[in-house]
Amino acid sequence: MDDNLQEDLLDARLREESAYIDDAGFTARVVQKLPAHRVRPSLRALILLGVTLVASVSAYLLSGGGWFIAEGVTRFALLPLPLILLSAAGATILVMAGGLAAAVAKTGGRPK
Amino acid sequence: MALTDADLVARVLVDNDHHAFAELVRNHQSSVRGLLRQLVRADVSLADDLSQETFLRAYKNLRSFRGEARFSTWLYRIAYNCFREEARKRKELVGIDEAQLEGEQDPQTTDPALRHDLAHALQLLPLHERTAILLCCQNGLSHDEAARVLEIPLGTVKTNVLRGREKLKRTLAAWGPK
Repeated sequence: MDDNLQEDLLDARLREESAYIDDAGFTARVVQKLPAHRVRPSLRALILLGVTLVASVSAYLLSGGGWFIAEGVTRFALLPLPLILLSAAGATILVMAGGLAAAVAKTGGRPK
Repeated sequence: MALTDADLVARVLVDNDHHAFAELVRNHQSSVRGLLRQLVRADVSLADDLSQETFLRAYKNLRSFRGEARFSTWLYRIAYNCFREEARKRKELVGIDEAQLEGEQDPQTTDPALRHDLAHALQLLPLHERTAILLCCQNGLSHDEAARVLEIPLGTVKTNVLRGREKLKRTLAAWGPK
């Protein structure tokens, strides 16, 4: 019986020891260190699509129906063939370099 | 009506709701900080750093919380891992090496001013017994839950609690009545 009483007292004292610790700005400090809000992938795709559409329509309207594109293509077609091939090769290399840079950036430079 | 831990976790996962996570931190900060303060032997600053790390890890790994255990049990496990990593990283914990942490200290060498102080009596226990006592007797975890937190067999937890309690009773009795 004495033993039981002693056990109860010990338990009660142990529980008393775990007094509530006042937050005192702890939660705010944790929340401040959380990673920034990320936009959901579906929402991000929607935003990108919307912005692209708005930008395209604006550019089309502001450029007077895109006449400069037709003129650009006509001028380009009149260039000598080697120059056209050189431009195409340059553009391909540029796109490949961009894709490679994006892939390296995504993996953090670590091989898988 | 107050939201349950499960509701708050769901809000964080679905909407990345920082307010819901803040509510979880507010609900559990006291017990996590209290546990870590006892584990690091009252170094409040280190305990709070480890507590912060505990909640940040919880946020990053929230998807791995399956709701099979209580959220607090899951948090204690992260907190205990943070504490062990810190102890291992330093090879010593606030000036006390692992061997000393695991070993028992003599209650008779205690400063008389600190006698009757249960918190101090707890500090004299070896780490494994102290941790078991803190989780089961102070934070209300079942032996089974404590075994999951500490990743040790259930029987070992029961033994550690039993031995720790006996030593605490002996120490407090040796110091005489309050």
